[in-house]
Amino acid sequence: MILDMSKRLILAALFVWLAPSFALAEGIIADQTFKAANEIVVTFAAPVDRAVVEEVNNYTVFEEPDPDIRLVLQQVALAGDGRTASLFFTEPLNTATTHVVRIRGLVGGETTFKVSKSYFGYLFGILISALLINNFVFTKYLGLCVFFGTSKKKTTAKGMGVVFTIVAVVSASMSWFLYNFVLIPFDLNFLQIVVFIGLTSLTVQAVDTILRKVNPVLFNSFGVFLVLVIANCVIIAIPLIMAGNGYNFFETFMLAIGAGGGFLLALYLMSSVSERLQLAKIPPTYKGLPIAFIVAGQFAMAFLGFSGLQLF
Amino acid sequence: MRDMITIVVRLTISCLLAASVMGLCFIFTSNAKKHNEHVKEQQVMYELLGYSGAAERPASLAMHELYRYVVSSGGRQSIGYLLPGAEGEEAGFLFVNIDLDGRLIASTPVALSAGDALEAEPRNRAIQAAAGPGASVTFADQTIVVTDGGERIAYLMGGKFQGFKTFIHLMLAVDPDFALIGFEVLEHEEDPGLGAEIVEGYFKNQFKGKPFTAIKTIDVVKAPIPDDYYKALTGKVGEEEILRFREQYKEKDIYALTGATISAKAVAMGVKGIVTKFAYRIDVLDRVLQEQQLATSF
Amino acid sequence: MTNDKSPLQLISRGILSENPIFKLALSMCPAVGISTTVMNGILLGTAVLFVQVFSSVTISVFKNYIHPRIRIPTYTLTIATWVTVIDLVLAAYMPEAYAKMGIFVKLIVAFAIITMRLEMFACKESVNDSFWDGLGMGLGFMVGMVAIGLVRELLGSGAILGYDVLGFKPLLFFILPSAGFFVVGLMMAFFNWIEIYYKRRRGVQ
Repeated sequence: MILDMSKRLILAALFVWLAPSFALAEGIIADQTFKAANEIVVTFAAPVDRAVVEEVNNYTVFEEPDPDIRLVLQQVALAGDGRTASLFFTEPLNTATTHVVRIRGLVGGETTFKVSKSYFGYLFGILISALLINNFVFTKYLGLCVFFGTSKKKTTAKGMGVVFTIVAVVSASMSWFLYNFVLIPFDLNFLQIVVFIGLTSLTVQAVDTILRKVNPVLFNSFGVFLVLVIANCVIIAIPLIMAGNGYNFFETFMLAIGAGGGFLLALYLMSSVSERLQLAKIPPTYKGLPIAFIVAGQFAMAFLGFSGLQLF
Repeated sequence: MRDMITIVVRLTISCLLAASVMGLCFIFTSNAKKHNEHVKEQQVMYELLGYSGAAERPASLAMHELYRYVVSSGGRQSIGYLLPGAEGEEAGFLFVNIDLDGRLIASTPVALSAGDALEAEPRNRAIQAAAGPGASVTFADQTIVVTDGGERIAYLMGGKFQGFKTFIHLMLAVDPDFALIGFEVLEHEEDPGLGAEIVEGYFKNQFKGKPFTAIKTIDVVKAPIPDDYYKALTGKVGEEEILRFREQYKEKDIYALTGATISAKAVAMGVKGIVTKFAYRIDVLDRVLQEQQLATSF
Repeated sequence: MTNDKSPLQLISRGILSENPIFKLALSMCPAVGISTTVMNGILLGTAVLFVQVFSSVTISVFKNYIHPRIRIPTYTLTIATWVTVIDLVLAAYMPEAYAKMGIFVKLIVAFAIITMRLEMFACKESVNDSFWDGLGMGLGFMVGMVAIGLVRELLGSGAILGYDVLGFKPLLFFILPSAGFFVVGLMMAFFNWIEIYYKRRRGVQ
């Protein structure tokens, strides 16, 4: 119940924080997006003066970190309705960075707006990346001891995956707070390892105590996995990656969910195969771990296929 | 109760012990780390310029560091450079603030010791003071102008861009006409056997000697490297032969790495971005310095 | 309980009969992840050896002062301390090697093998024996890493320790990231095969 509450709280916080980004477009700009590799599409709130909008010299476009490097605009085409303008550039745009567009001569003299990929899409990208593209088990090769230990049966796999995800999210969130408000301000970065492993143990202990009191039935089925969580390197890799990339809270949250979900996915896939393997005739030399490693290798090769996947 | 007290006391003591071990270690290693990083950076720079040993370096060789900052005050952005001042003057450095159209806003002498200029924190403070109140400054990048007896012979610059997995960190050297002298990969996390091949000579050497016009339109082609060119790139043939191949391929695109086109393309695009941006900026800066008769050390 | 094994036996146990990688199947992550070259194996092996020996000795020295109820947190703290030390030292003095090993140096802290040795051996035995036991386990890990690295580097890039010995690349597949699983799996199967073969021969005689 407490977990449920905290989840709702976090979702609410996420919504409040993201709400302004939906209302970003101010005044006469209704919408702006990257389209093709060298095209930005701007939608105006009302029909605008064709002569002004289609004049290339009225524009100043640059990438946010490099305000002095102007991007060369080739052509601007206004659609028939007088509201949608397509900006074509001579060079392909680097869509990963925010672009600033300035138009002179429209109502109110100068109009400035920013074009970037939607932040929601970016967060989702982190999730997908941790889940599939950089799956912690199959492409980062972490957490293997626990992975091979608990992927023999589907029920164990599910239990382990769920418990792991919960602990990962809680400990990563706490690590983020401690990292940003204690370790960085006091220049104690070298204590990273101790702090992160300590917080993980603390989370495991806390979840253990809470679960035992709140839901003994759940504890009986999931409790055994809690001890294994601490021996899993993924749980300590998440805060380390967070610190290395300087993620903000929501990015950390998404990374932790993705990592946990990825671990669950890997366990589930592996356990499905393991259950089948028990019925198969395996040469005695390959029984047990060797065949499990070879199956995992095949999964790893399959997961290589996700690399380069881009949804947003 | 007694139990709890002993547990708390023992845990505290062990934490204190652990903390002192780690603290001591940190104190001893942090200086060495900084020093080693600096030494390595210097070594990479000299190697890029073609001086492999300390003995080969001419005494007239000098390096001048330019720091670029983005200054924003009152909703307007401008570019600020911290430049080493001409030798023999009191103010060691010069802060030049240039607006986005390439016109000078202000130039202020900055009193900063050479040692402090290397450290990020005192440098940022000095820049903040020079830019004036109400302005916020953010460090953008640094470039090194290499001179030999007063003549510019090369520019060195670092750059970071998205590779296939994470960021690729490069150090580039270009000559005064912005033709590429070479680059070195400082950090990367590409896959071994695939993207990690970007550090190999046969890939890096393809970039050597590319003129600025070729860099501006550089791209990668998905084709195997011709055998004779590969031999030249790996240094298996004579010096003249290598130069002949470099001449033959200098306007051509880069051959992508087998199975790692994205990494190869990322490097090519990254190099292009870094060099073209730098070429534009140094032109603007030189023009301003000339118009305003500002003396710098390079 | 007292230990009746000589130092040599303790070391050989770590390397052969209880090899952390091939026999106990613990700390597999680096064995799959960064075993592409022999050098990586030696470097990470040294780091693990250092952490294992120092943690074992530390716990063994203080074994009478550790309250049984906070045993595990104390182990974790000890390991984390020594991992931090080796992490700082490597970052300062061997930056290139450190960059190659990436996140794995820091992840030594989560290696099950080290905690297991502390719990099973160091907290009961004398300082001397703990040292030899830690050394054996660390060496066992290093030997395992080097063996995998040898196979992958030789077959993948035709070289050993960076020196080109074959002159050609037999199977590029072996240094590709996902091949780690196959190599470890095949090597385990190979060791199983040897074991089964010898048992059978002994049975016949």
